[in-house]
Amino acid sequence: MDRTTVTQRKSGYVAFAWSIIWILTYFGARLILKSMGPPRADWTRVGVALVPLVPFVIFLWTFIGDMRRADELERRINLEALAWAYPLAMVLIMVLALMQIAMPLSEDDWSYRNVWPFFWVFWLFGQAFARRRYQ
Amino acid sequence: MKNQLRVLRAERSWSQAELSERLGVSRQTINAIETGRYDPSLPLAFQIAHLFGKQIEAIFEPDVG
Repeated sequence: MDRTTVTQRKSGYVAFAWSIIWILTYFGARLILKSMGPPRADWTRVGVALVPLVPFVIFLWTFIGDMRRADELERRINLEALAWAYPLAMVLIMVLALMQIAMPLSEDDWSYRNVWPFFWVFWLFGQAFARRRYQ
Repeated sequence: MKNQLRVLRAERSWSQAELSERLGVSRQTINAIETGRYDPSLPLAFQIAHLFGKQIEAIFEPDVG
C-alpha cells in the first residue's frame, strides 16, 4: 500500500475512533438523563446533555484535518458524499415536519434523538456510492 | 479525458503504488486517472507532466465530440 493511502487511513482511524467515543458518550448521556427522571430545568441535566459535544468537537477537528491532508480524489469523494447526505438529511426533516402535521407521530420513534443517526447513514451511503464510482 | 499515464508508467516499469508515492497521491487516484474515471486537477496534471518530462497535452487528450 502506498504511503499516502497509509497516512490517510491512519488519520481516518483516529477520526473514526472519536466518532465512536462521541456516539458512546451520547448513549451514555441518554441513559444518565433517563435515570434522572422526567425532563426539568436543572443545570446538572443540561451539563450531562452537553457532554457529547466534547468528543464531537474533537471528532470534527480530526475529520477536518483529515480532509485538509487528503489527496484530491479523496476530497472529491467526500464532497460527493456530502452532496448526497446533506439534501437527503434536509428532505428527511422536511417530510417528518409535514408528517407531524398530517398525522400523530410517536415521539419515541420520530423525535430528534432517533432521527439524527440517519444523517450518518446518508453520509456513509454517499461515501460508498462515490467510492464505487472512482474504483 | 483520455491519457497516456498507464503507457508512460509501464515504460518505466513503475507500479501504481510507486507512481502514487512519487506524486504524493493515493494509489486509488492513479487507478482512477488511468481508467479515465477521474480527471486530475491542473496542479496534479502539471506534476505528472513534470515527472515524465513531457507537456501536459502529450499526456492528456480531451474527449472531442
